[in-house]
Amino acid sequence: MAIDVGILINLGFYLSIAIVFAILALGFNLQWGYTGLFNAGIAGFFLIGAYTCAIAITAPAPPVPGGLPGHLGGFSLPFPVGAALAMLAAGGTAALVAIPTLRLRADYLAIATIAFAEIARIFTINLETITGGTIGILLIPRPVDYGPGQPFLNMATIVGIGGAILLILLLFLRFVAESPWGRVLRATRDDEEATMALGKNTFRYKLQAFALGGAIMGLAGALFAVTLVYLEPVGSFAPAVTFSVWVMVIVGGAGNLRGAILGAFLIYGMEWLSVQLKDFAPEGVKDTIFFIRLMIIGVLLILLVLFRPEGILREKKRTLR
Amino acid sequence: MDSNPILGVHEVQKAFGGIRAVDRCTLTVAPRSITGLIGPNGAGKSTLFNLIAGLYRPDGGAIRFGGVRIDGLPPYEIVQLGLTKTWQIPHELKNLTVLENLVLAAKGNAGEHLTNLFIRPRSVRSDEKRLRARAREVPALTQLESVANEHAKTLSGGQKKLLELARALMSDPSLVLLDEPVAGVNQTLAASLMDLIATLRRDGRTFFLIEHDMNVVMNRCDTVIVMHQGRKIAEGTPATVKADPAVIESYLGG
Repeated sequence: MAIDVGILINLGFYLSIAIVFAILALGFNLQWGYTGLFNAGIAGFFLIGAYTCAIAITAPAPPVPGGLPGHLGGFSLPFPVGAALAMLAAGGTAALVAIPTLRLRADYLAIATIAFAEIARIFTINLETITGGTIGILLIPRPVDYGPGQPFLNMATIVGIGGAILLILLLFLRFVAESPWGRVLRATRDDEEATMALGKNTFRYKLQAFALGGAIMGLAGALFAVTLVYLEPVGSFAPAVTFSVWVMVIVGGAGNLRGAILGAFLIYGMEWLSVQLKDFAPEGVKDTIFFIRLMIIGVLLILLVLFRPEGILREKKRTLR
Repeated sequence: MDSNPILGVHEVQKAFGGIRAVDRCTLTVAPRSITGLIGPNGAGKSTLFNLIAGLYRPDGGAIRFGGVRIDGLPPYEIVQLGLTKTWQIPHELKNLTVLENLVLAAKGNAGEHLTNLFIRPRSVRSDEKRLRARAREVPALTQLESVANEHAKTLSGGQKKLLELARALMSDPSLVLLDEPVAGVNQTLAASLMDLIATLRRDGRTFFLIEHDMNVVMNRCDTVIVMHQGRKIAEGTPATVKADPAVIESYLGG
């Protein structure tokens, strides 16, 4: 008896998107969980990564029927190059946004980043010759493509690639963030003035952490582009994406790498599940199930903040020998 | 003292709004001394410490440390030169352990540079190992041994004061500014803390301390400087300062 391939593909879709969110959460965790920098424009860095990669790896666009604008591109670069460019673009943008604001009070970084993300999205909608406007970018090539007849293989491959990227990123962050360098980040988070008085140039550390976190969000964007194989700016990069990532890190456990990943799989899992359950829900609930999901997340957050403010997986105590 | 001062504050000013917290203050601290800074609340003592440590930028005047101008330098560069300060209200790094607080306070840890993690992994490991060993041996740690691997936020008030001193010593400073090192610390611990400071002074370090405990000031300091309304109003041995009419008037009380 064969298992319904549709279910597997559906499950693969959940995994592939949850992986993208897990990478976003790891980027935000480095910025906020480790360094205390509150990024309110996650969606913007995610967008820059996604579009940079998509433009870099797509083939020359065929003429679009109806005289639609198409987009910049046709470079046909391999995915690893596209992903590297995405990281550079998003990380560089993060540094540019951070330089004027990091010296100011923490609130200004949040204001600047939320404004940046919205500006990026509005530009993306309107710069049609570069981004394809509201139509977006279609026909983004998969890193490995088994053709249209093999949806399961294609999905399994993208989950494998995403999983490998997530694993490598986790190992990289464990090496980098759980180091003396990462210790200065945590010190800056706890008390920046004291850390400065202990001889650390905290501005430099904040800038590095913010740019690296931004680059990681760009990587998430690159993976997102080849997972969906099309990009559209209106919904995929809305402020709600930023809010979801906050919730993932808060629920999973700020300052804990595995916590951020767990939070992403959990919170995106609830979203995915609410879509799956829609068909099985009783008549009266069908249309409201999405709102029920939001309510559940809200109640969960309140309970968590009350009873376990450090998240499901709390930050580890680093015992030195 | 005949030798050149280790710290020279010249005509330093700092105003917050209309209030002149430090008003053209001039004073010097002799090397290898324990110099006390006293004065009524609001005299500008803590502000002066923050100016010296680089946490505030002076509005005017000059500050020299070992003959080098340090006013206007950021605090992290001043620490590199060998001047550290502790805080009146402990600024322990709450979610770091006691040992982490100490290792972090050391200078020249290769692993604190992001690029070194990749290009000099061997120095990163050896520095970290060396500094962890040093943190275990920092003098003030003896009384924190049992909590060495606990988060700093779990310490008692007295333990946090000890941590402040231990952390300051980790950077191997020649001058330590202590902002009320024994405030809120029980008598026994306060005495052993001051004994430790006396020992460290004999090893060649200089201490400049703000303290309201007159016992500590009179018995432990070589020189006492009195500040009032942002300026120095008296300086001398504890005995002379104690007898100074201006000091009695403004601080000690009749």
